[in-house]
Amino acid sequence: MADRLLRIGRNQAIRSLAGGVGVSLPPTLRRTVEPWSERELEGQAIAVLRAPGASLDEPLARTLAEAGAQAVLTEAPLPFIEAAEAWSRPILADEPERRLDAIVLDATGIGSVDDLRALHTLLQPRLGSLRSNGRVLLLARPPDEADGPEPAACRRAVEGFMRSLARELGRKGSTANELLVPQGAESRLAAPTRWFLSARSAYVSGQVLRLSTSLPSSAAAWRRPLDGRLVLVTGAARGIGEATVAVLVREGARVIALDRPGEEDRLAAVVGDHGLPLAVDLSSPDAPERIAACVREQGGRLHAAVHNAGITRDKTLGRMPPELWEAVLDVNLRSVLRLHAALDPLLAADARVVCLSSIAGLAGNPGQTAYAASKAGIAGLVADLGPRLAPRGIAVNAIAPGFIETRLTAAIPLVTREFGRRLCNLSQGGLPQDVAEAILYFCSPGGGASTGQVLRVCGGSLVGA
Amino acid sequence: MHAFIVGGARTPFTRAFGELVELDTIALGVVAVQGALRRLELPASAVDALVWGGVILPPDSPNIGREIALDAGLPPTVEAMTVSRACASGLQAIADGVAKIERGEAEVVIAGGGDSTSNAPLTMPPSLVRKAGPVAMKRGAGPMDWLKLATTLSPGRDLVPRKPRVAERSTGELMGEAAEKMAGRNQVSRAEQDAFALRSQQRAAAAVAAGRFNEELVPVDLPRGGRLTADTLIRGDTTLERLSTLKPAFARDGTITAGNATALTDGAACVVLMSEAAARRYGQPMLARFRSFAWVGVDPADQLLMGPALAMPLALKRAGLELSEVDRVELHEAFAAQVLSVQRMLESEAFGRERLGRDGAVGTIHPERLNVHGGSLALGHPFAATGARIALTLAHELAQGAARTGLIGICAAGGLGAAAVMERGPGEPTNS
Repeated sequence: MADRLLRIGRNQAIRSLAGGVGVSLPPTLRRTVEPWSERELEGQAIAVLRAPGASLDEPLARTLAEAGAQAVLTEAPLPFIEAAEAWSRPILADEPERRLDAIVLDATGIGSVDDLRALHTLLQPRLGSLRSNGRVLLLARPPDEADGPEPAACRRAVEGFMRSLARELGRKGSTANELLVPQGAESRLAAPTRWFLSARSAYVSGQVLRLSTSLPSSAAAWRRPLDGRLVLVTGAARGIGEATVAVLVREGARVIALDRPGEEDRLAAVVGDHGLPLAVDLSSPDAPERIAACVREQGGRLHAAVHNAGITRDKTLGRMPPELWEAVLDVNLRSVLRLHAALDPLLAADARVVCLSSIAGLAGNPGQTAYAASKAGIAGLVADLGPRLAPRGIAVNAIAPGFIETRLTAAIPLVTREFGRRLCNLSQGGLPQDVAEAILYFCSPGGGASTGQVLRVCGGSLVGA
Repeated sequence: MHAFIVGGARTPFTRAFGELVELDTIALGVVAVQGALRRLELPASAVDALVWGGVILPPDSPNIGREIALDAGLPPTVEAMTVSRACASGLQAIADGVAKIERGEAEVVIAGGGDSTSNAPLTMPPSLVRKAGPVAMKRGAGPMDWLKLATTLSPGRDLVPRKPRVAERSTGELMGEAAEKMAGRNQVSRAEQDAFALRSQQRAAAAVAAGRFNEELVPVDLPRGGRLTADTLIRGDTTLERLSTLKPAFARDGTITAGNATALTDGAACVVLMSEAAARRYGQPMLARFRSFAWVGVDPADQLLMGPALAMPLALKRAGLELSEVDRVELHEAFAAQVLSVQRMLESEAFGRERLGRDGAVGTIHPERLNVHGGSLALGHPFAATGARIALTLAHELAQGAARTGLIGICAAGGLGAAAVMERGPGEPTNS
């Protein structure tokens, strides 16, 4: 299961040797297991580039300073000067030799092909200064809210630019991502900006996350964001589920850790005294009611549900017997729908629902017709539920993991496995913790900045949209 | 029911391992407590309680408050406690004493604090404690047990005491490094720091020359003979030129030097607090009272010593005052850089808006109101004594009529900040 190439690549001597003969080894990604902190970006030098018509000075200045970062700017607009003063984070001059931890490009004003030139002229001179494991974050307006074909085209152009840039940056472990900021969503920028600029998004690259104005803004909670909140995690005994419980507990949540009967011991070990294990077969008819009863016993208010349980029964369509099709669709899709229906009345006013999709569901994969159908179904589910539950303050989003190093992927034959690992911007598989951190983000109060979205945690996989 | 400061006393402050080296923190406290009672001609039997602040506490008797009460000859019925809140310990002791009186639990309380950095216990490595502890605590351990133990010890690893450091436990950052970071982030120059330190020295020297500290200082009879009657750290004759030649102490290109940082100091200070009824009964002058206290915490990894910038506005708000309305500000000078950083924050509109939710800046502390008799940079800073030293000096300042209200701000390790607003009391009791 272990990624040998990645391990070898940690040796600097071998790295330079390999580089000499034109072989590039996968970069070592910088991650953290520390709890969220107020100064999540402490000491980082973050260049803020403002394309013509940039409109996010105020929220950006505040977000970066409050998170402990120092903005790198040549001519600082007033909001940056004021935020620097309020948080004692002097602005750093934009000099060629200045090393950068991240670059934020405010492209919200781009409306013409001429404006697009700024992507080239602003970023090109700085890319060389970006440290390894650096971040590039583009901020743009949604193309579907543009008033005319040229602005729409140019807004969409930003996305293509970002996706290609992400591919170029991957070699050094750096990532590029984009936030779509509709008019009025400026005040929701802090949480996603912090998250995408932090080490917690290490395996997210080439992705677009759309913010929304449909949920009320939540009060900032940068430390222990889930303090005292009750969260249900299905499929919690192993892999992504297990890692998810760990990060939720780390941030103060009480967790109902659910998995199949027979996994009681593992569940108890995973959740410890930060919640309780619950062994239920999700496809049994009384499962939703039993789970709802458990939530009621725990106070009756569920603050987040993570629908993580899933199975694969891979066979090409020609060879797939009906019972395998049935099993996959039942656990991966029908159970989620049934369980959500049962939990709906118990969801707290600012609850979060996170479902697990998969890039297989978005891109397709031979042998996974049933699996892909179920996981694409999840994308459809959150797209519908998001707007539907927004008036109640509930956000519904999905994570689509790419190749994650788990028991599931360890069972894939070697050659296929190697392709799965390497065919992404970062040339390696992700860790369960990478997916868990994304789930945690969507479970947090600030995660409500988006709803109805699917975020891929795939290292910028070459497959899929 | 209000609690009033009626008087107090402090020992002279000296450099660690200097004149007071033989007096531990308890002995220093005893000098201050006995001195205060003598000053006020108050019988020991009048005292109901004693609250003492300490930062470096002796491991074998951490409740030094009780030891001081007993050694000072207070009746054994006087209850006593010890509080520890880093450099705000002295102010915390006073706040607890005030609360005792305001809750009606006591009428006369001695509150203060002190530290003897000269007598800081050296701790041995945990590995030695784990090896030697079982033998030391074993009943009837014989020479063979000790011999056997000796063979297991490694001189390098087990027998070298751990170097005491003024460092943050959570971040490992030295206090001076934190000040250096604040100087950088608030853009406080070396020249500004040195100028501030010079002013503190000159003001302290002027206060000494004017006899301003006579009403608070009590002499110490030294065990080796002789008598110490005055502070020994003050350098009124220093110059900007001399200060500017000192080498940075924490970073090669840094700005913090021995001249613009406080020295490790030995000393103790206390105030005597009374209810109005007790002040009348014992004929004591009600010099000053507290209108508010405020305590805050910030992330130690952020700006360790910025606490007063948050605590002082809070104390002012609780007292219903604006900064411009207070006549005196006593800001503990841990480092010139920290005082200047805090001032910068209070003067910043952006800080007021973003960090305090105000309409604008808290305001400017006019130099002629700030630390008018010098501060910790000149006098020294026996950690837990400083809060009591400041409260005592300010109480006298208010009582002498030069000022009506005063604001205290103290930064403390752990990212803590403390503040209090004091106002002039009615003075001598009139028998009505």
